[in-house]
Amino acid sequence: MSEALHIHHDTAVSHDVHHSGDHGHHHQSFISKYVFSMDHKTIAKQFLITGIIWAIIGGLFSVLFRLQLGFPGQSFPILETFFGHWAKGGTIQPEFYYALVTMHGTVLVFFVLTAGLSGTFSNFLIPLQVGARDMASPFLNMLSYWFFFLASVIMIASMFLQTGPASGGWTMYPPLSALGQANDGSKLGADFWLIGMALFIVSQLMAGLNYISTILNMRTKGMSMTRMPLTIWALFFTAVLGVLSFPVLLSGAILLLFDRNIGTSFFLSDIVVNGEVLPNEGGSAILYQHLFWFLGHPEVYIILLPAMGMVSEILSINSRKPIFGYMAMLGSLFAICILAFLVWAHHMFVTGLNPFLGSVFVLLTLLIAVPSAIKVFNWLTTLWRGNIRFTPAMLFAIGFVSLFISGGLTGIFLGNSTIDIHLHDTMFVVAHFHIVMGVASMFGMFAGIYHWFPKMFGRYLNNTLAYFHFWVTLVGAYLIFWPMHYEGLAGMPRRYLDKSIWVSFNQFGSLDQMITIVTVIVFAVQLMFVFNFFYSIFKGRKVTTANPWGATTLEWTTPIRPGHGNWTGEIPEVHRWPYDYGKDGRDFIPQTEPIGANESKH
Amino acid sequence: MEHQSASSEITFQHHVSDAEFSKKVKRTTILLSVITVIELAIGLIIYTIHKGPDPNAYLVLAFKGVVCILTLAKAYYIVSVFMHLGDEIRNMIMTIVVPLMLFIWFILAFIIDGNSYKNLRNTYDKHFQETTTPVHHVEEKKAEEPKPGKQ
Amino acid sequence: MATTATAQQTKWWSGGKSPFNIEYGKLMMWYFLMSDAFTFGAFLISYGTIRFSQNFWPDPNAVFNAFPGAGHANLPLAFVSVMTFILIISSVTMVLAVHAGHNGDKKGVIKWLAWTIVGGIAFLSCQAWEWHHLITGAHATLIDGKIEWVGQTTRVNPWGQLVHGEALTTALNNSTVESLARIVHEQHGNTMTEAQLLGLPKDQLTGMINTAELHVRQNGPVAFGGYFYGITGFHGFHVFSGVVINIIMLIMTQKGVFERRGHYLMIEKAGLYWHFVDLVWVFVFLCFYLI
Repeated sequence: MSEALHIHHDTAVSHDVHHSGDHGHHHQSFISKYVFSMDHKTIAKQFLITGIIWAIIGGLFSVLFRLQLGFPGQSFPILETFFGHWAKGGTIQPEFYYALVTMHGTVLVFFVLTAGLSGTFSNFLIPLQVGARDMASPFLNMLSYWFFFLASVIMIASMFLQTGPASGGWTMYPPLSALGQANDGSKLGADFWLIGMALFIVSQLMAGLNYISTILNMRTKGMSMTRMPLTIWALFFTAVLGVLSFPVLLSGAILLLFDRNIGTSFFLSDIVVNGEVLPNEGGSAILYQHLFWFLGHPEVYIILLPAMGMVSEILSINSRKPIFGYMAMLGSLFAICILAFLVWAHHMFVTGLNPFLGSVFVLLTLLIAVPSAIKVFNWLTTLWRGNIRFTPAMLFAIGFVSLFISGGLTGIFLGNSTIDIHLHDTMFVVAHFHIVMGVASMFGMFAGIYHWFPKMFGRYLNNTLAYFHFWVTLVGAYLIFWPMHYEGLAGMPRRYLDKSIWVSFNQFGSLDQMITIVTVIVFAVQLMFVFNFFYSIFKGRKVTTANPWGATTLEWTTPIRPGHGNWTGEIPEVHRWPYDYGKDGRDFIPQTEPIGANESKH
Repeated sequence: MEHQSASSEITFQHHVSDAEFSKKVKRTTILLSVITVIELAIGLIIYTIHKGPDPNAYLVLAFKGVVCILTLAKAYYIVSVFMHLGDEIRNMIMTIVVPLMLFIWFILAFIIDGNSYKNLRNTYDKHFQETTTPVHHVEEKKAEEPKPGKQ
Repeated sequence: MATTATAQQTKWWSGGKSPFNIEYGKLMMWYFLMSDAFTFGAFLISYGTIRFSQNFWPDPNAVFNAFPGAGHANLPLAFVSVMTFILIISSVTMVLAVHAGHNGDKKGVIKWLAWTIVGGIAFLSCQAWEWHHLITGAHATLIDGKIEWVGQTTRVNPWGQLVHGEALTTALNNSTVESLARIVHEQHGNTMTEAQLLGLPKDQLTGMINTAELHVRQNGPVAFGGYFYGITGFHGFHVFSGVVINIIMLIMTQKGVFERRGHYLMIEKAGLYWHFVDLVWVFVFLCFYLI
């Protein structure tokens, strides 16, 4: 077994080739430094900026279809100027509306909150916080961004097709998405969607494999698994979820492509379109939904877990208190990760799923409340009697906790198949998942950006704009989504173009107008954030200390603007867990400090 | 830069002796071949049962179950010996094996729902039932897929 | 014994080393294979789901009973067992290549890798033959009340239930002269060419058909073809990419890249991929050919 401990210098060398660090990188050309960069920090910024661009596009789409929902049938001539026949006479056409809704979902779920969130922060934080010079495979890391970019190009291209982008909903259920005769979006747009998603999945797999092997293999000396910040744990489970569930969507997408293009019958059976009887026979549309949601549900946690991890850390840092219940936090992350794979069919209670099977899914679904509650109580107890600093990041982190509680509670309603019979496909569902997954994760992302911006760019974001951004977004998010619960309970369906024909929903007319107006305001404030972001990269207040937030973790032991390779000298060794705040009369003790002789135990 | 052991990984191989190694590979190859031959034999038995005058659905099902178990055994030997997973550290083995447990619920839920879809269609789509349910003529083969306990 | 004791005391998880004593590339390969297992798993489970949602499913022994050069002989499972053995043997040669790599034996690596590539190409050729045979091998099938000669494609399935009795007579009456001529030709061999038969009137053709010997099947579940071609195609694609990877490895070994590097870890990773291809085949074999 002595060979077991033999250190293979060769692999070490091949790793350090890229890490020749701060001496090497001014020889790099612009292309290899900023475009095809293999530095994890640059790749993270690429993911972040691409994600921001996507968020603007996806957010704009929601503003457009909210105009239709708030003011059905009203003409906005400016729309025709920009969108031509999609908004004939200034009113949003049905095809356009469905394309907007579909692309809003696809873009926000996959391109912003998966690639933009976990792509950014996994790339940025994993090597910095576990103490590695770069990712395990910087090359694959670069490829993963460029596959994402390619997927983005294809998805953008689909919006410029004559027949428009995919418009069968972001879930792309067949038969609607499988038959070009069924709607315009299912012509070429759906193929673009599926190919774009396939490339996106490839990108996510390469990224996820990299994250996992970096966290397992590249931790610095002393960084045992239980000394890792919760952010890293959350990103680790996110990567595990992605690696195990995205392939299933890939299978579904491939089968759907076959159904669309070579006449197979995986998901199609007994269909008559426009009086034409289709020859497809024997497929099952429910099968696609199973395949989709086997990814789709873990996807929710792929979106949420990074936010949870970052929020845990930011709450602890800015309360100047250790995180409450580190092991419980870890255990609940693990439990969520496992349960995420077992509950997918709760999205399908009313699709013709076997009701008995549905009841098993109800049980498993409601079990998620347990780890979720553990996390919420731990966040609250971390705040309890803390010495709270209300930095913008902290505000967004607290906002995340608030949104996660409000959105999580309505999940208990929807997780019951009996109540779901009434609530499914209503605005209640829209309210639920936007609060708990969409807005909450956005808040986690904002918290992360505000917190790590100094590390990314060596400058601070503007605080005044940040506070304004926070309050408008928080109040706006509740104003937009809270009323939707009432609409949904009253039975108002989602996805509909125009509900004015229902007399019973007319009472919600002014409420819908209010939601639309708030949406426009919130969107404008996000643009302000984007301005703040780009302005601060170049003109923001400079960071002058290496550790501006007084944090314990390793990324703050690097230079203010770390070069490729992160640390100029040796990688620091880790001696303690990352949450030694307010201990033994000291404000904080960095992870790199050896345990003192008379130190108390945490 | 520095060749510090902190960031480098450890690579190793189990240097088994050549004789021991070739013995192990030979044994596994023979084992895999024998299992495959048994599987083929069972396949032919199922074929003859089907051809027979009165195929016993439960017997066929039992044979199919045996084939499934044999396949898992084959998979075990390929992964453990050929892919050397058996020689890895226990924790490594666990990170591979434990996530595969997800397949249990993955398979069960999908198959149960597929079966339920059939029952629903047989109940509510008489045309489907009449045109696809195997007709039991004496000289004819029975349905290939037995459904004990259903319908 | 002393060394074993130290090994047990090694703090695998304390950082600064791989907790599994594996370099990152091999770890990534393992986890990639696991995610790929979920891709294949999803395909095979979808296949199972559809199969369970059908009242009737074709008997694989009736579908896969041909052997190259054996004409119409009924040889269920014969050809696929050849394919299976090819893959198992190529897996064994890969194990030997990896082992030669461990010993730094360049010649051994080249030899065994070459044999593995040969095995892979042989498997792909077998699959090509099988696909070709299934697609072009036409069978008398009852479609829309008429007998037509069709092969196994993604749109039709000639392996439905047998048609007989009155239904068969009606079907024969509805069928075209071409279909009937082909039936007669198949039944009576070379006594008359199909062109000659086409000239005969329909009644006479019908009279020449031996209905007792006639096997006409209904159009079976079309999903069968889609899944068969989809999954074996996806597997074949993996075999193909495995062959390409192995060829690259062979060239790199030949050029002495690994020798200079001092280790043959890349061969090990390529080997993992190759064994995974074999592993998947074990399950494809089970799902499509055995049960």
